[in-house]
Amino acid sequence: MRALQGLRGPRAPALPLFLLCFLAAVRRSLEDGLSTAAPFTSLPVQEEITTKYSNLSSESHNISVTAAPYTSLPVQEEMMTKYSNLSLESHNISMTAMPMKENNKGNQICVDRGIMLQRNVTLEQSNMPVEKNITLERPSNVELTCQFTTSGDLNSVNVTWKKGDKLLEDNYLVNATGSILYTQYRVAVIGSKQMGSYSCFFGEKKQHRGTFNLKVPEINGKNKPLITYVGDSVVLMCKCQDCLPLNWTWYGVNGSVQVPIGVPVNDKYVISGKHANETRLKITQLSEDDQGTYWCHAIFELGESEGHVELVVLSYLVPLKAFCAIVAEVVLLVTAILLFEMYTQKKKKPSGDGKEFEQGEQMKLDDSNGIENSGPRHRKNESVGQ
Amino acid sequence: MTPKPTGPLDGGWGWVVVAAGFAVNGLSYGVLRSLGLAFPDFAEYFDRNAQETAWVSALALAVQQAASPVGSALSTRWGARPVVMVGGVLTSLGFVFSAFAHSLLHLYLGLGVLAGSGWALVFAPALGTVSRYFSRRRVLAVGLALTGNGASSLLLAPALQLLLDNFGWRGALLLLGAVTLHLTPCGALLRPLALPGDPLAPPRSPLAALGLGLFRRRAFLVLTLGTALVGVGYFIPYVHLAPHALDRGLGGYGAALVVAAAAMGDIGARLLCGWLADQGWVPLPRLLTIFGALTGLGLLAVGLVPVVGNEDGWGGPLLAAAGAYGLSAGSYAPLVFCVLPELVGIGNVVQATGLVMLLLSLGGLLGPPLSGFLRDETGDFTASFLTCGSFVLSGSFIYLGLPKSLPSCRPASRPGTPPPEMGELLPVPQVALLSPGHPHSTLDTTC
Repeated sequence: MRALQGLRGPRAPALPLFLLCFLAAVRRSLEDGLSTAAPFTSLPVQEEITTKYSNLSSESHNISVTAAPYTSLPVQEEMMTKYSNLSLESHNISMTAMPMKENNKGNQICVDRGIMLQRNVTLEQSNMPVEKNITLERPSNVELTCQFTTSGDLNSVNVTWKKGDKLLEDNYLVNATGSILYTQYRVAVIGSKQMGSYSCFFGEKKQHRGTFNLKVPEINGKNKPLITYVGDSVVLMCKCQDCLPLNWTWYGVNGSVQVPIGVPVNDKYVISGKHANETRLKITQLSEDDQGTYWCHAIFELGESEGHVELVVLSYLVPLKAFCAIVAEVVLLVTAILLFEMYTQKKKKPSGDGKEFEQGEQMKLDDSNGIENSGPRHRKNESVGQ
Repeated sequence: MTPKPTGPLDGGWGWVVVAAGFAVNGLSYGVLRSLGLAFPDFAEYFDRNAQETAWVSALALAVQQAASPVGSALSTRWGARPVVMVGGVLTSLGFVFSAFAHSLLHLYLGLGVLAGSGWALVFAPALGTVSRYFSRRRVLAVGLALTGNGASSLLLAPALQLLLDNFGWRGALLLLGAVTLHLTPCGALLRPLALPGDPLAPPRSPLAALGLGLFRRRAFLVLTLGTALVGVGYFIPYVHLAPHALDRGLGGYGAALVVAAAAMGDIGARLLCGWLADQGWVPLPRLLTIFGALTGLGLLAVGLVPVVGNEDGWGGPLLAAAGAYGLSAGSYAPLVFCVLPELVGIGNVVQATGLVMLLLSLGGLLGPPLSGFLRDETGDFTASFLTCGSFVLSGSFIYLGLPKSLPSCRPASRPGTPPPEMGELLPVPQVALLSPGHPHSTLDTTC
């Protein structure tokens, strides 16, 4: 277990202050009668912190928070209100390691560090990294907790946190109870620098790893290309499911370079959006040069996100050729049918009535005047009629 | 001099006419059914919601069915062939016009009104001609022709998706216009046929051509009344079977399987019942009543099926109910057209077909909205299916008023005698179409 030993090293002043606030809060709750021996009564502590820090809703996923034994630190009231306008988000990852048994094969991880050696286990394979993707839109306080279950000796498990590849040395807590080891890292995410991947590692060789990926929300453009025609107009839309970006910008692609659109405001491109979570780019007077991929960028406080829409502009000649071909085929069919009928009727040639030829050539006639003789068939008995 | 009219042929060129009828069905109802694939593209381009775009096909269907009597009236005056050919051109023009649409209104006009009118000119005359070309095998022939829309939507749906992906919706509509132009060669195949019982002179006035005088015949009136009621319930599964299956707990594929079961039952039954009915063992009005009632019962069963336990289940009871519904509905469809020659005479079949289509459309306009309303009120489709099932049952009950619908005490006609088609059940006037005052008799439905 790692005891918090006060401020260490050059850090952004905000974070340790933040931790002080947290500690202070925990201490007050401890004074309220929670004992450290009973490890977690997470919810009351959690709620206290939550109400202190946010006026927005916060997410909690049955997190247990505990404070390792601290050296007492001065409480500074004003620091507690420093980030009070930020919401609190908590995220949790659990990992379990089972001690290897004699006849167990496969993905069993031997953590028992005492005398038993790791045997016959490919640790790399069994080390499925556990990942969690977290979508953040606004600056908020983020609390990341890793929970590690093992039946071995918890005290000998080494715990580290990393952001990307950089080792984090501060701002995290570790506690253990029973067979569960908890570690928690807190960070106030206020800009794009704090976004990225945070990982917790358990074990000497860091063989157990949980990763939290902090990302901005994703933007949906369109997966299928939009097909339009020359001279037509089109509306390209990008949408974000549950988020409200600060601003949207559109880029067209010229070669491999993204060129902003709509900067000189003209009639051809009109950017609008009915709601804040969508943006529409209307392009009029399409020509074949307007073909290609269009990118929409959504700007958040915490970074940028983009989506794309592909536009295809066809000339009317493309379907028109197929259309004319089919119409020509239809005309041929009709002529063939009528010619065939005339031919068979001429062959049959019943009475010398000029009407047959008229019938073949005219298309308008009455049913009752029509003559039907198209070859031998079983004829209906005329006695049926009255 | 009028040449001596010959009787229906029951083969030969008749099968070509069946093929033409099959294609006509496919190019009208089949295209209409598949048109829904383009609606998301319409909605996106014109920035309207799904309901407004769905009005396009609802309007087309309404125009097609409501204007059917016009089509049959025109073909009574000029023959089926020119009317169908013109109808094909009209439909094609409607699609071409809508390919250049700049607002949803243009689509309503092009696809809804123009194409719908073209289809109205096409359906009743073609189906009536198929009826005229057959007597012994009429139900089978009509059933075969009616399978066109099912087969066509199977082919056309992926083809339309391909067109949409490659040409966008404008190009797809343009090419659909070219495809529907094939209605014209189908019309060219409908050679005119002279039959005994045809009116010797064309109707004198447009109103007479509409065949409204047919309503004076009690049997036809009974048929139309019953059909209007059946129409209310008949089309609801087209719209609501899939959502009902989803509501009952089936997953997406389970629901698709239910719809497929109904469709396959439908297709198979059209052919099977067609063959069966033509054997002449049971009089057609009785078969109509029976299958109408079975359809109603099938709908009740579909509505009453209990909730499926898990999503992965294949929904046995619902599948069986849907299959039963499909079988009976498929048998009902050709029968409702084939019973017409008995009631009105072969000479008036085209007009009668048009009028029956009109009545079906009135029901079809009422049914799905009613079903949707009941669904919104009660939370699931049970009430909807029960209601439409009861409409169908009441329509079938009315069919009992048709002549020969109830078993009579007279000895049954031997199979092998030709089916009645001169409207023998009611004496038909020999001369002009409208001849008031002929005696109504022989509605002997009791012992």
